[in-house]
Amino acid sequence: MEQSRILPWRPPRVCEDYWSEFRHCKSLLNKFHHYYTYGESPSCQQWSQDYKNCKQWESHKDLKAKEDLQQSERTRVAEQQQFTPVWKLRKEPPKDWHLPLNQEKSQEF
Amino acid sequence: MDQTKQEEDYGYDLFPERNKSKYKKGSITESLFTFNHKCQVMLQYAIDTPYAKLLLGAMKHSGQVFKDRHFACEDCDGTVSGGFDAASSQIVLCQNNIHQQSHMNRVVTHELIHAFDHCRAHVDWFKNYRHLACSEIRAANLSGDCSFSNELSRFHFGLKKHHQQECVRGRALRSILAVRKISREEAEKIVDEVFDSCFNDHAPFGRIPHSKKDAKFAYRHYESRDRYNANI
Repeated sequence: MEQSRILPWRPPRVCEDYWSEFRHCKSLLNKFHHYYTYGESPSCQQWSQDYKNCKQWESHKDLKAKEDLQQSERTRVAEQQQFTPVWKLRKEPPKDWHLPLNQEKSQEF
Repeated sequence: MDQTKQEEDYGYDLFPERNKSKYKKGSITESLFTFNHKCQVMLQYAIDTPYAKLLLGAMKHSGQVFKDRHFACEDCDGTVSGGFDAASSQIVLCQNNIHQQSHMNRVVTHELIHAFDHCRAHVDWFKNYRHLACSEIRAANLSGDCSFSNELSRFHFGLKKHHQQECVRGRALRSILAVRKISREEAEKIVDEVFDSCFNDHAPFGRIPHSKKDAKFAYRHYESRDRYNANI
């Protein structure tokens, strides 16, 4: 029986992405925007932790680092879903989205 | 006349060129030296911003956007900058009211968010005011409409916290009142009902893009979503 090719696990993001997100999070401008929106300072530590875990996996294939990183990302995804949608999602695009516009030949004098 | 009343009820009177019976093609002179041409040029730059690229990418499967089919530059009434016409599946850009590239970028993002909602969900634009309010809250929140610098340019010097939320609430209210004939109290009640849900719905950005850098990061994340989803 043929064994299906399973790609080896790698961090969900490139390690440098975690670092740039951390730097961006800590920036003065971002702190200002966050306060302007939410009334509090952003919490950036998790990005830094994720970066450390990412590098730890890259260099030592540390299983604990891998699990922590996955858990952190799953939490991030869950945080984006903390609301009850007001509408029902579609399974396919609206039927008239690609219908051509009504082109009427008009005579202008 | 019934049709006129219906046009007013849905805000179509703000977009007088949305007459469904004719779509005129102008002369070459008209196309080169008018607001229409400027609008087309600015639109081309606007769809190249990370905000628009992300929205257009996210819509590839739920309803791909073709510039010539889904965007229209037209003259509009008053000071309105643009609109989303669900009936013809078009984003209307008010060529006589948008004169700066930054403004065009914001309007395109705002209207693309409506188009995105239209394609990914069963949005009843005409009869369900909660749906309309929700999309307006999202569009005000995610397009940069309520960024500090934009609010400053409107002389709203709100430095206190949560100002963005107040701004989003206010702009959503204004947008609804502009296109639907309901009372302010009714509109406020509807916005309040859906605010928490819709303010926290950041699709497809995954965050509130406060700045171009946020939008770039959001787009970067979107582009690597296959790797992301396979490894979490």
